[in-house]
Amino acid sequence: MSRSASVAGGPGAARLAAAALPLALALLLAAVPLFGLGPNVIRLLFVTLVWVTTSVAWNILGGITGQVSFGFAVFYGLGAYTAALLIRGGTPPLLAFLAAGAVATVASLVVGIPTFRLRGPYFAIATIGVSEAVRVTMNNLAFTGGASGYRIVERVPFNQMTHYYSALALAALAIAVSILVVRSKFGLGLMAVREDEDAAADLGLNPFKYKLLAHALAAALTGMAGGVFARYAGFIHPGGVFAFNTSVSILLMPVIGGLGTVWGPVIGGLIYGTVQEQLVAAFPNLHLLLYGSLLIVIILFEPKGIVGLVGRLARWAAGSRRQAVPVAARGASTGTGVES
Amino acid sequence: MTAGEFLNLLVAALLLAGIYATMSFGMTVIYGVMKIINLAHAGFMMLGAYFAYELYQRLGVDPILGSVLAIPVFFVLGVACYFLLVRWVPTSDQPTLPSLLLLFGLWLVLQNVGYSVWGNTDRSILTPFTLSTIRIGPVSISTLRAVVFAVAVLSLVVLQLVLTRTWFGRSVRALTQNKLAGQIVGIDTQRTAALTFGLGIAFAGMAGALLATLYSFNPDFGRPFLLRSFVIIVLGGLESFSGVAVGALILALVETFTILVVPAGYQVAISFALLVVALLVLPGGVASLFERRGRAA
Repeated sequence: MSRSASVAGGPGAARLAAAALPLALALLLAAVPLFGLGPNVIRLLFVTLVWVTTSVAWNILGGITGQVSFGFAVFYGLGAYTAALLIRGGTPPLLAFLAAGAVATVASLVVGIPTFRLRGPYFAIATIGVSEAVRVTMNNLAFTGGASGYRIVERVPFNQMTHYYSALALAALAIAVSILVVRSKFGLGLMAVREDEDAAADLGLNPFKYKLLAHALAAALTGMAGGVFARYAGFIHPGGVFAFNTSVSILLMPVIGGLGTVWGPVIGGLIYGTVQEQLVAAFPNLHLLLYGSLLIVIILFEPKGIVGLVGRLARWAAGSRRQAVPVAARGASTGTGVES
Repeated sequence: MTAGEFLNLLVAALLLAGIYATMSFGMTVIYGVMKIINLAHAGFMMLGAYFAYELYQRLGVDPILGSVLAIPVFFVLGVACYFLLVRWVPTSDQPTLPSLLLLFGLWLVLQNVGYSVWGNTDRSILTPFTLSTIRIGPVSISTLRAVVFAVAVLSLVVLQLVLTRTWFGRSVRALTQNKLAGQIVGIDTQRTAALTFGLGIAFAGMAGALLATLYSFNPDFGRPFLLRSFVIIVLGGLESFSGVAVGALILALVETFTILVVPAGYQVAISFALLVVALLVLPGGVASLFERRGRAA
């Protein structure tokens, strides 16, 4: 007991830093126009923020609830197309984004209701099938232009900062949702489902309902991200927004950052968003290899991603300075690593 | 539709079912023993296709023979993959998140290997047999499809013998039914899992080689077949070896006959629709209809 009192300042300071850092980051990102950055940098930041949103969204289902989806491109693409059609029809962008989220949510129920009722791998595999089926369908759909894509015409002058701030707001919303989920009873339920479905059911919660809700929440955020992206891009096509690669990217980011944590997916998204284009440009024929081996290496050596690695390094550093039992014990408990 | 056309389609569906069963078997056996969904299945099928292609192009080996040669080669490859990668991921009584992500990563790597080595142009294997047909009454059968069917069925018969007559087969079936009990009676789970993974990959490679004789292929070859395999093993009840055959037949029949109504481009959607129907109506798979007795809870 006395020992815990002596180190009480440590966790307190850490908590303060954990609260202050994101706030500082948010302020920094909000103040971006003051730095006089070029449009290319802003575009990169915009894309990164969209990726962060999808990464955080995927993590709610994949990381916190433990249900792997290989088909988030479906929600991203449906959101993009919904927003595109509505904006071209004259709907205010904000409404269009909300509608994008709504359509994605409905789609998530279509996939989730048959597959979540059962345990086992049904959901994960079904998501591969759904993304394939939706892409093929969109390639042949006449009113969206099929495979040749869809152009979004907006009757307002283009202002890059509007797009930037909508992406920033959405990313902030996603992170806020993720924090709320993790801190709420609902989030505890999701983690219970991830750790042991039977035990969770014995405690009186309905795993089916929890998984479905997590899926819907993640889909809604991803759909809105697709909408925000579509409005900026001005042109979308099934080979882009519905591509298998989009699904792979969305799943890769939270894995890189740290599954099931709040800040891991954010870090993963930030890294992936800023590095990805240079990577593809530098190794145009090797990005699948890169993504694949990255997945393998992370799963084999550091399943908690960067957050896990940092935690391990911190523990190691603390351990070499003094035998910091409380910190080590806290990290070693089979907890969910919610506090990043 | 005339009776002759109907008969033709029926035979075509039956021939297709043979290959489908071969390709799905690898997934079932791995799932049964290790409770791992082998997402890299598609990648190994693709490699199997190129294996047969290279043998034929460089050495003039008949692709059917090539598909048989693929079995030992891919078996070794599978065992190696097991010891290098799969062994290290935690397993449970249902697929774990790490195992799904690991094999997904492996699939991406294999796909990229395919693109780096062979590029993204479609290839196909054309032999003198490719276009020849046999006519029996009103039914005309592609010779190649008949041969492929025969090889597929033969491999399944051999497999059935291995599963029922050997110690390894008995361990596989025991672990599929109850892993813990299997361990208690002294089955070496590690060794059985390694051999099983090899076996599953061997079947994936062979099925890929067989399919390569019928379809053109590129490094993305296996993806549509991955979902098909999964639909088949769900229809079959996930762990039932005889269920796989039934599942393959059902999918082949549905696919063959829906071609009359639905454009071929939407075939993937059909597999998925079938999956949803199976999950809603028959969650235990077709096998549950035959094995109603026992195994409560």
